[in-house]
Amino acid sequence: MQNAPLQTDPLLRSERARFPGTGHSAFGLRRSQMREGWVGLLFALPHLLLFGVFLLAPVLYGFYISLHRWHVLAKSHPWVGLENYAAVLSDDIFWIALRNTAYFVVLVVPLGNLVSLGLALGLASVKRFQAFYKVCYYLPVVISIAVVAVLWRWLYNTQIGLLNMYIGAVVGGLREIGLPLAPFQPLPWLSNPLWVMPSIALMSIWWGAGGNMILYLAGINNIPDDYYEAAMIDGANAWNRFWAITWPLLKPTTLFCLVFSVLGAFQIFGQTYVLFTGGAGPARSGLTVALYMYQQGFGQYEMGYGAAIAYLLFAIVLAFTVLQFRLLEGRAERAGPDEKMDKPVGEPVEEEAV
Amino acid sequence: MTFSIRKRILLFLCVLISALLSAGCASLRGRGASAVEIGPGGKVVLDFWNGFTGPDGKMMEAMVRQFEKEHPDVDIRMQIIPWGTYYDKLTLSLAYGGAPEVFILHAARLPEYASFGVLEPLGDLVASSQPPLPVDDFAPIPWQATFYKGKQYALPLDVHPIGLYYNTKLFKEAGIVDEQGRAKPPTNWEEFLSAAQKLTKDTNGDGQPDQWGFVFTWQRTNWFTFAYQFGGGALSPDLQSCIMASTENLAALRRMNDLIYKYKVAPKPEGIDAWLAFRQGKAAMALEGIYMLASLEEQKGLPYAGAPAPQFGPVRAAWAGSHLLSMADGISPEAARAGWKFMRYLSDHSLMWAKGGQVPVRKSALRSPEFAEMPVQAQFAKQLPYVRYEPLSPKANALFPFVDPAVEAVLLDLESPKEATEDACRRIEQVLERP
Repeated sequence: MQNAPLQTDPLLRSERARFPGTGHSAFGLRRSQMREGWVGLLFALPHLLLFGVFLLAPVLYGFYISLHRWHVLAKSHPWVGLENYAAVLSDDIFWIALRNTAYFVVLVVPLGNLVSLGLALGLASVKRFQAFYKVCYYLPVVISIAVVAVLWRWLYNTQIGLLNMYIGAVVGGLREIGLPLAPFQPLPWLSNPLWVMPSIALMSIWWGAGGNMILYLAGINNIPDDYYEAAMIDGANAWNRFWAITWPLLKPTTLFCLVFSVLGAFQIFGQTYVLFTGGAGPARSGLTVALYMYQQGFGQYEMGYGAAIAYLLFAIVLAFTVLQFRLLEGRAERAGPDEKMDKPVGEPVEEEAV
Repeated sequence: MTFSIRKRILLFLCVLISALLSAGCASLRGRGASAVEIGPGGKVVLDFWNGFTGPDGKMMEAMVRQFEKEHPDVDIRMQIIPWGTYYDKLTLSLAYGGAPEVFILHAARLPEYASFGVLEPLGDLVASSQPPLPVDDFAPIPWQATFYKGKQYALPLDVHPIGLYYNTKLFKEAGIVDEQGRAKPPTNWEEFLSAAQKLTKDTNGDGQPDQWGFVFTWQRTNWFTFAYQFGGGALSPDLQSCIMASTENLAALRRMNDLIYKYKVAPKPEGIDAWLAFRQGKAAMALEGIYMLASLEEQKGLPYAGAPAPQFGPVRAAWAGSHLLSMADGISPEAARAGWKFMRYLSDHSLMWAKGGQVPVRKSALRSPEFAEMPVQAQFAKQLPYVRYEPLSPKANALFPFVDPAVEAVLLDLESPKEATEDACRRIEQVLERP
């Protein structure tokens, strides 16, 4: 595929261009190329070491664990093959967790991206204090999810929460001026099973919108002004300009953001873990796959079972990612040579360590 | 061409990883007998872990310092880890090394650890203790909880029963007083319900009560208390089957549900900080453990008192937990002897520990005039003859992910007691069948 040039060492490419058709070693490499290969490896070594020690090794070890009955305290960990996987797949709580997680993804990915895009469009048209607004909207991204969740747990409190207080005041005010509204009943943000996931999604969007916003903003700023000038001369209004210029030229950015939103959303853990202090919310409505994995692995110390859940989640996320990358590559080609989004293609998807 | 380089990188990574894995596996085996650590001056160094993050932690620190002064040959390194993550850390250290010599276990967790053989049996140490350990001085229920399959693995430090906390000011306002005009706590269901009804008030006239007679705080302990009082519980006495869906348990759950939806004397446990409601005087009664006393002492201007939990059902019972002192399996005899000396010292100074807001398990401490003067502790201690622990089963910890949601679903009125408990039992039976 000619669209993945990142995987090719540019040095090697230039050398190949200079010495076309020269002899190769047994490994298919010329001596100088081999040496350069080792030098390259040496440069990459610090990262490779960290990657190997802290990511790859634990991930592979996790797979090994998932094939055993592995209670942390047990003196022996018998090999059970795929038994843990079979048990997880026939565990209806896993399916509840998966359904909750999918619901979260469906809620947070489109809405979150819409919010990010909206913010970026707004910011792009702001001439003064743009940096200030950028920082404001980006600030939540910097905050740790634990802090965010503790904050929002208080905002969402049914009795004394700020959100209900504000909504109550607004409803009260509207009634005061004669609107036929029912008296305000406090909203059960986190205590009614039907409200739990939308509440968590709202919080997550607030937390994460700034990240994608920056990417969208960069994408928007990359669009040459000439297009807009030409469109203005042709009499296009703001909507036409967005729909005919911004939106199509932003497609690579949009796809990139979508892919990574989906990746992140499937791995949702911190939100529910902190909001429900390790529990799963009313009627397990806040139980996500990653949280269930944690509960099994570190609450029940059944590491094998937890690792199997982790690998199933990995398989699901991987499937989605492959699908999206296919889509991404196709779209990027169609977007034309200038807008190629070849950057993320080379990197493999990272999986959360077990 | 370039793929060869990638192959090389892969090969390199594979070697790296297999080296790491084998190194990792080797180090993961390092559990069991650890050499005794000798500090400066030939002292035996003991690590001591617990989760006493509140005032109890300060009291424990004072006791540790006093012990060290009286035993210059032992150095105690105490580490306080919040209970929320305590067992994660303890479990992993017991499995993979770095475990403390002495640590606290809750009574309901002991069977789990004992069943995996990670606790030091104490039989010989107890038998050879000088002066002899006054076994008869221990309250029988906590003492028995230190045994698993006939072997003793711990020494009980205290017992923390649930009890009734009530707001004396609200009681007096509602006229629930005895002949001397003092607030009179309810002792049975009828008194409890009538008091709760008098105490539930709409003080600002918006049609919604804003002062509640009762509030469910920790649903698990509240449920165990109701369930035990109706003759129910989570597991059958032989710990082999789930009895949550029994008629006794259903009656207990219905009564709890009635408090919220039929009698409307307790708020729906929805998005409220229930304990805060009691602290702020918005709820007049709550069933909580003795360990919550410290947070009430902090609350300025809250007039409260403690009483034994009212008897809601036909059986006298109250939930309780215990802090037990245990040692890691396979520690050196020297460390074990020093550890035992330390554990024994803490137990012998139970009265001091009681001042940190606990109920002692030594009868001599319970009978002492100093203890009688601790108002809430002395009241809660009255329940000692009939307190009940969570099921003392190695699987206890695995039950709560099913017990808790069932109770919550009933208290939120999402499911009927029958639906909720049958679902929980189906899952619990699966856990019990697991090897």
